[in-house]
Amino acid sequence: MDASIALRATNISKTFHISEDSHNTVKHRLFNLFSPSRQKKVEAIKPMDFEVKRGECVGLIGRNGCGKSTLVRLLAGVFPVDTGTVEINGTTLIMNLGVGMSQELTARENIYVSSSVLGLKIKETDAIFDKIVDFAEIREFIDTKVKFFSSGMMARLGFSIAVNAGAGIMFLDEIFAVGDMKFQEKAIKVFESSWIEGKTVILVSHSMDVINKYCTRTAYMKKGELIYFGETQKAVELYVTDNQ
Amino acid sequence: MAANTLKDWTIRTNKLERLWLLAKIEFKLRYYENKLGLLWALLKPLMDMSIYYVAFKVILGTDIPAFASYLFIGLILWNFFLESTSGTIQLLNTKKYLYEYSNMNKLEIYVSTLFANSIGFLFNLVIFIIFFNFLEAGGGGFSFHNLWVIALFINLFILSLGISLILSNIYILAKDINQIWMVVTSFLFFLSPVFYKLEVFQSKLPGFQYGNPLAGIIINARRVMMDKSPPIFRLLAFDFVYAFIILLVGIFLLNKLGAKAAEKL
Repeated sequence: MDASIALRATNISKTFHISEDSHNTVKHRLFNLFSPSRQKKVEAIKPMDFEVKRGECVGLIGRNGCGKSTLVRLLAGVFPVDTGTVEINGTTLIMNLGVGMSQELTARENIYVSSSVLGLKIKETDAIFDKIVDFAEIREFIDTKVKFFSSGMMARLGFSIAVNAGAGIMFLDEIFAVGDMKFQEKAIKVFESSWIEGKTVILVSHSMDVINKYCTRTAYMKKGELIYFGETQKAVELYVTDNQ
Repeated sequence: MAANTLKDWTIRTNKLERLWLLAKIEFKLRYYENKLGLLWALLKPLMDMSIYYVAFKVILGTDIPAFASYLFIGLILWNFFLESTSGTIQLLNTKKYLYEYSNMNKLEIYVSTLFANSIGFLFNLVIFIIFFNFLEAGGGGFSFHNLWVIALFINLFILSLGISLILSNIYILAKDINQIWMVVTSFLFFLSPVFYKLEVFQSKLPGFQYGNPLAGIIINARRVMMDKSPPIFRLLAFDFVYAFIILLVGIFLLNKLGAKAAEKL
């Protein structure tokens, strides 16, 4: 793949089969061998192409349930696609309320594990360790298991790891809903600074101000379909007129 | 190409470091969350050993020489196998936090967990060597053939990894695989010569050591660690072939079913 491309999805689609009766044990499967489970099909993502260049900030907008989060998971390689292919150039990270953390580990261990999953070497993590801790404001609880953290502390730690360690391609899913007001201001400041520059970011948001401010191109989705992908202004206009 | 891959794993990316980090944390979680620490790893085979010793030596009066060591080496191999298979059935569930937000390779999760088990095994092996060579009456004596245990352990590692992959991926579809595997393991345990006399095992179930990869590994481990003789190479070759076939099936399942773990579990 061309090095200037961070992400390329060709003809991808995704259908969820939601089964009404759960046949998830061997016993159930044997007893119901001849009565297939009733399944409901939900076409979450209809066939579409999607391409993101390296260093680009792309917006993703649409109403609740239109498939934004599913698309994000497909593009990040977390869910497999039903058809088509997704080519990913580097590590990915979906950040909604921080990164994935183990409840059984301490904050310190979680910082090292998450950073490592994101592709950082231990030495590199050592270098940014203090920055992560101070940004998350959890210095005195650094060797406490995160299961004893309040949800706000968890969210701050996750946000801090994600922002400081970062992956090659970041998917930011409604991230400005994290923490108290003071922390939100801090989070916004990160974006105001040059953090976003040079990073490949896919930004999911319901705030048109945020989208207008940071995204060069934006995709508008409706009922699993990609209606428009191009200039941010036009995408926002389409979305707004569609919802009047 | 091999050199390139090695370089890719060590210098260019952090894969090896990550495996080590995950293994270390897994190990710490398992053994250092309690007061006894690493002794827990030893306690299980020691308890099993004393049960079988009483049953087979004291009550049934078996005439196997150095019976405690005979049991010990069999049990630590068996326990590694059990921990790495039964203990990892829910791995994709417990380690979901590692892959549900990023495109991390799931195979690394398995390898690191088995690395953590390997540390426990290594500790037990050292205890075995000390016990057999310095404490057991009628035992003792080092030999170059002892080094074959490395090959045997690699064999066991690949076999356990393969089965772990198969079970934990089936778990996505069938949550009760746990119970089924419990029955299979007790069957396997009694069909492996952990506490039987080898000659009896071979005469009652002729050729069976070729049908059960674990039996082969245990038989060979005793030869190289206790009898100062080389392994039975035919058996070793058979067991490696088994292990690789099972690993291939496991990787196939990981790509087929494991890919859906994030949405199904």
